[in-house]
Parts: sequence; C-alpha cells; structure tokens
Amino acid sequence: MTNIYELMDVTQSYGGRTVLEVPEMKIGKGSIVGITGPNGSGKSTLLRILAFLERPVGGRVYFKGEPVIDIDETLRREATLLLQESKLLKRTVFENVAYGLKARGMKEGISRKVNQTLEMVGLDPVDFAGRLWFQLSGGESQRVALASRLVLRPEVLILDEPTASIDAGSGRIIARAIVDARERLGTTIVLVSHDIDWAYAASDEVISMFSGRIRSRTIENIIPGPWKDCPDGTSCRYLENGQVITAVRRPEEGYSTGLLDPDDIILSLNDPGNTSARNTIRGTVVRMNLENEEGNVLVTVNAGGTVFTSRVTTGSLSKLGIVPGSPVIIVFKANSIRWV
Amino acid sequence: MGYLAEGFRKAFIILFSGQEETFSAIFTTLKVSTFSIIVTLAVGIPLGFMLGYYTFPGKHAFRAVSDTLMAIPTVVVGLLVYAFISRSGPFGSFGLLFTLRGVAIGQFVLGLPVVVSLTASATEQMEDSVKMTLMTLGASPGQLAASSLWEGRYAVIAAAMTAYSRIISEVGVSMMIGGNIKWRTRTITTAIALETGKGQFAEGIALGIVLLAIAFAVNGFVSVARRRASI
Repeated sequence: MTNIYELMDVTQSYGGRTVLEVPEMKIGKGSIVGITGPNGSGKSTLLRILAFLERPVGGRVYFKGEPVIDIDETLRREATLLLQESKLLKRTVFENVAYGLKARGMKEGISRKVNQTLEMVGLDPVDFAGRLWFQLSGGESQRVALASRLVLRPEVLILDEPTASIDAGSGRIIARAIVDARERLGTTIVLVSHDIDWAYAASDEVISMFSGRIRSRTIENIIPGPWKDCPDGTSCRYLENGQVITAVRRPEEGYSTGLLDPDDIILSLNDPGNTSARNTIRGTVVRMNLENEEGNVLVTVNAGGTVFTSRVTTGSLSKLGIVPGSPVIIVFKANSIRWV
Repeated sequence: MGYLAEGFRKAFIILFSGQEETFSAIFTTLKVSTFSIIVTLAVGIPLGFMLGYYTFPGKHAFRAVSDTLMAIPTVVVGLLVYAFISRSGPFGSFGLLFTLRGVAIGQFVLGLPVVVSLTASATEQMEDSVKMTLMTLGASPGQLAASSLWEGRYAVIAAAMTAYSRIISEVGVSMMIGGNIKWRTRTITTAIALETGKGQFAEGIALGIVLLAIAFAVNGFVSVARRRASI
C-alpha cells in the first residue's frame, strides 16, 4: 500500500507551548486510521494539519509523496474535515451539499450528485433538499455536513468525533456512510472517536495519542493520577474499590500519568499466587474488540472504576472462555508502567 | 389634552385626504433617504467587512474613529457638510447647498459609520467554525470572503436597517443642508419642526405618524434579521 501522508518530525505549538510532536507517521492510501486519546492529547491539532488547515511550526509533511510547501485551496480540496459539531451554512440543505461542488466549478449534474449523496446519508432528497439549516435536528445537520463532504469524493476524509453529539440512529448511518465511502470511492479515512468499539470495528489501524505525542500505533492504557509515593519505594494509585496499582517510583513530581501497554497485561481467571508481577487486580470484562489486521482481541476490563485493555490472541481467549461480564484478574509488573 | 386629540383627528383627515404639501414632504423623505442608504450600503458594507475580516496596520484606530462617529450629532454633520459645500467651501462650485443631493451627502456621512461599525462587528462575531467549514469545503480566498459575508447577511441587514433608521429620522442635516424649502427639500422631520413651531399640531402629528410607521416597519425588519442572524 502506498502512503498518502508521511509526517516527519512534525511539531506544532501555540503561544510558545508545544501541543504536538510527531517524529514519524505514515497513512496508507485507502486505509481507515482511527485516532484515540484523551482531551488535549493533540488529536484535533493533528487533524487540522492533515486537513491542510494549519501549517506545523516544524517538520515536514508529504502528501502523495510530494512535500507540502504552499497550502492553498487546491491542496485543501484533496482532504476535507468534518468537525464534531459541523456548522451548516445558512442556506438550504441542497445549497449546503452543493457548495463544495460549486466552489470547484463542478456544476454539471449537480442535482443528481446532491440527491444521491443525501440518500447515502439516509436523507430523502424530496423531503430534505429544500429545508433550511435551522429546520434540522442535530443528527440530520451532521448527516448533511457529511453529505457536503462525501459529494466531493475527496481523496481523504478526516472526521473529528463525527458521532459524538448526535442520536444513535444518525450515528449508525454516519458510521455506515463513512465505511461505504472507503469501499465505493477508495477514500482514505482518518477518524477521531471516543467510541472505541466503532474505532476498532471501522479502522485498519488505531493510533493512541497522549500529551501531544503518538504513544503507540494501537490503544494504550492511560492511568491518570493521583499517584502517591509509597514507603517501599514504589508509586501507588488507589482504585475506587480499595485495590492498589503499584508502579516503579516516578522519576520526579512532574510525571503524573502512567502508560501501560496492552501487551504487558496478562488475564487470568484465578489468582496466580506467587508471581514476580506486583499487580494482580480483580475486575470485570466490559468489552471485547477484534483488531482488524492482527486478528488479536482487545479485552477491556473495569477494575474499581479504572479501565484496562489487554491484548490477547483469539486462541488464548477461547481457552479463557471469558465474555463481557466475566470476572477476571489482570496481572502486570510494576515496571511495565511508563511515566509521562 | 383636548388639543392633542383634536390634533390626531385632524392628522388622520390630512393623511386620508391626501394633502399635497404633506405628501410632498413624505415623498421627498423617501426619495432622499432611499438614495442615501443605497450609496451608504454600497460603500459601507465592503468597508465594514474588510475592517472586521482582515487584519492590517491602523485597523483599531480606524475602528475607534468609526465607532465614535456612530454617535456624532446630526447638526455637527450638517455643519461639516455645510462648510464643504457652501459657496465659499471647497465644493461650493457644485451648487449642492439647499439641494436634495446635498442632503443625501450629509445623510451618507451620517449613516456610513453605522454601517461600517455594525458590519465589522457582525463579521468579527462570526464564529470561526463558519470560516473553518468554508475552508474544509474547498473555498478559495475570494470565495471564502464572499461566502463569509453572505453567511453574515442577516447581521448586515440589521446594520443596514439601523443606519436607515438614523438617516430617515435625522433633522439636523436636512434642515441645515436642505434648508427646508417647500416642495423641494422639505422632509418629514423638517416639516414637523416647522409645523410645530407654527402651532400647526395636526400637520406635525400626521407626519409624525408616517415617520413612526416607517420606523416600526424598519425595526420589524431589524428584529427579524437579528433573530435569523442568531440561529
């Protein structure tokens, strides 16, 4: 697969504060890449750079193998961004969907294209095309905003939490339309979503971001504070049910968040007894997601209000015989936790 | 209070009988104010949009001047324009004094800061997400500017109506520049001032009713435009 994007040593900062540092990142043409991470992790900044809405202060961005030097509408027309709560233009639904086509001077067959795209997002053109922007629900508005971008048949479709603040029905339609766009048009899709289930189901690859950096090219457990320094030289964090996570001592006070690789977590049905791992924490399986490429399964466990994700093979999973709701014990070493 | 009631009764008789002198003032007002507002909008909207949309040296100073001029007394505008177009002024040779064209210039000076400042405010208050949406849809810089102005059209309409209210209700410019000449430059406001001075309340009230009706209609438009702008 050829790469449509390549980012090398890209940094972005606002007012002297660095908010994004990406040493290297590649996105394959025609792939679906999911990006996860907490608020403030740099996801939206990365999306704006990928959508050519802002220029990074450092590093190089390559698009279709060419270095991005001048950002203009010609480049922006290759990649379009759908925001979480997209603003509709103060026009009819038809005019909204047709705007990008008219901006490109593509006026031939405009009605047919608009109507077809409205149908793609589950909106009947007869009923909706003439409606004004304020005559739509939140979910309908977001579907019109998506149609406005799909009608352009963009090379890249970038989505920032497209289903976060809308009804479940609209969310399902949008999710299906996005996957359809890849299947039918070969569109490369970059999506940010807090909906881990959807992100994993839809994406070929999921990138995890934290504090402006790409932490892994998969999901990563983020264990925020408060952490305490314990007398035995470790750092501890108490869970809501009184269980304790033990980690190697923080290098200094500024490090307040622990990161834990899903590969470092072992799932067990019984207490493993004497083991070198300091952490044996009881929890309940809340979710299982099949990773598209690897065929592994990500098992999410809630332990005292903190969520851990462990990567297991399908063979191990069938041996464990766990399903959502099963009690399990998660096991990991104190030195598996890295500090940021 | 009796004379007021009598004034209203006579005012309606004047209006419904189509008294020529009264209707001359009404038509003169509509003619000059319509011309003034068209020119004011043609100049003021692009200026206001540029002031709100772009960043350039001296922008804040220009904005401060425009904001201040919004509240300039009409007689001061009348005085300034008079100084320029009177026989001894720099534009005296154009013969604009005591003409409707002269009044229109004064009203243009009066309305321009209102249109510029309110259009600039409307543009500044436009959410960044509108600009971002247009960019993500592939708008070129020219399309971005034109579409941004179109997206703010209801706020701009409200600005236009506010300026029209100021223009149509002013008396200082019309009196000083127009001279309140019967059949020629007499407007509703100058006629009201004159008739009231003469003790002819009925004529004054009749013209006042017309002016109020226009003001209500204009403010109705402003109100609708502001509601649309905020959706």
